[in-house]
Amino acid sequence: MFVPSVTNPIGDFVRNLVPQVTAYLPVAFQSETLDSVVAFLINAVICIIAVCAVNIGSAPILIYMERKVCAHVQCRLGPMRLGWHGTIQTIADVLKMLFKEVYAPSGADKLMFYTAPMIVLIAPFMVCALIPFSKDLVVADVSMGIPLIIAVNGFGVLGILLGGWSSNNKYSLLGALRSGAQIISYEISFAMILLFVVMISGSTNLMDITMSQQGTVFDWWIFKIPVLGFIAFILFFISSTAEMNRAPFDIAEAEQELTGGYHTEYNGTPFAMFYLAEYIALVTNSALATTCFLGGFHAPCIGFAPVDNVLNMVPGLVWFFGKVFFMIWCYMMVRWTFVRPRVDQLMDFEWKFLLPVNLVLLTAGAAWIAISG
Amino acid sequence: MFPGLQLPELALSFPHGGMDIAFYAVAIVMLVTAVFTVAVKNILQSAVFLIFSFVTTAILYLLLHAEFIALAQVMVYIGGVVIFVVFTILLTSHLGEDAFATKIPRVFAAFALSIAFVFVMVKCLLPMPELSSGVVASAPDYSSLQNFAMRLLGYTQDSFIIPFEVVSVLLLMTLICAITIARKTKDEVEKEKEVKQ
Repeated sequence: MFVPSVTNPIGDFVRNLVPQVTAYLPVAFQSETLDSVVAFLINAVICIIAVCAVNIGSAPILIYMERKVCAHVQCRLGPMRLGWHGTIQTIADVLKMLFKEVYAPSGADKLMFYTAPMIVLIAPFMVCALIPFSKDLVVADVSMGIPLIIAVNGFGVLGILLGGWSSNNKYSLLGALRSGAQIISYEISFAMILLFVVMISGSTNLMDITMSQQGTVFDWWIFKIPVLGFIAFILFFISSTAEMNRAPFDIAEAEQELTGGYHTEYNGTPFAMFYLAEYIALVTNSALATTCFLGGFHAPCIGFAPVDNVLNMVPGLVWFFGKVFFMIWCYMMVRWTFVRPRVDQLMDFEWKFLLPVNLVLLTAGAAWIAISG
Repeated sequence: MFPGLQLPELALSFPHGGMDIAFYAVAIVMLVTAVFTVAVKNILQSAVFLIFSFVTTAILYLLLHAEFIALAQVMVYIGGVVIFVVFTILLTSHLGEDAFATKIPRVFAAFALSIAFVFVMVKCLLPMPELSSGVVASAPDYSSLQNFAMRLLGYTQDSFIIPFEVVSVLLLMTLICAITIARKTKDEVEKEKEVKQ
């Protein structure tokens, strides 16, 4: 019987352990098939728990961080009362949200109304499963990582469109249409930047992309290609900000114009799911930027052996999350620094500036590969 | 019952592994969502069921180890086609308020047609030996992205670079045509300006 299995240190450990444990069972339960199925199920559960832990666990931390960063940008203190420097505040908020009554507005399409938040969560969870957090810590080490990321991003638009329409509210529908148009446009440059990374690293597997940046800081793709890498990084930053519907590109929500956009009518758990999707997308996009441009889980070595040895003693997971949180901090600073453009300005920016620049960048990258060999 | 009908000897292999069970589960979900797509009265809900049908088709491709086709299915149909279908539905007014109902003779005709279709399929397609045998094993990385791309974009004898380029020119033509239809002529722009003033 065929049971799918991918070689991986943790998975191999489980696969070795299961036969040793089942040896104590009665003979009737001992068979290789049963062992492999049990090992497969245990591995699957471990993978699911890992993805959920990273995603759901990071959301409260990010909400706290967002409040603090926002407060300090605006010369305030932010949450201070509950716990040390307001650390328990987010947990209290999450509990409050989960215990709220869930109801749909009258005249809403109930089926769509409750399906939409679930569809929104598909993309961030799937992307999170692809990201190599450390040399051995990757849930799905598939060969087509980047095409898969581009493919599942479409679900985000769908969830937003359905949520906005089924709310039976003019503002929600307006927000959903705006955001649909925006995400579809910016998806193109997002995909093109990922294509650029695939082109220079020669692989669509995220682990291979990380391993191609091994060495010092100057082997990271942001610095390895003079000027082009940095431009690509900035373009990725802009298009991913728009992809995530974060300010300054948050015309879909635009509190002042649309009273919250597509999730105006949502409350309780469905609203929490939209909120969660937004913050998981922040983590996954930062992790993508880290993997594609900032060397993934590699330590920032500088080519000086004594310093490098010390830096390499720190596990890759710590470096990875250090870089991810640096990226998240950048996204937050951008959010609280820039003003929101108008809808037409946003579209002009994508179609008349970002897209041509991306095409030129791709050509220049190809030229660089041809020249450098 | 049917004296002239003799059911052919079927060489169907019944589920004996995880992949077979997965295939039947996915196929059932696909059929159910496909039926819902045409049976549901709200047009937006039918679009959503269409999406789930496409997703299960993609999973079916994955089970056949055709990863790139599966991803292309998700990318093109869900990320592209269905999103635009949903967009158009959202922009039409009075959606789902008066659910249309088909008359009974039409339902009956459709039913008879589909039964005839199933009959033809069973009678003519199942006896084919090529269809009832198991999956032909191919080389392990026959459908990997690298081999796929080399076959699609290579310029040796058995590769498809020229059809690929022709298709890309065709797509560019449709893009330009769409823009020409949608753009405003100079007269229209001037008229709009006059109206504003």
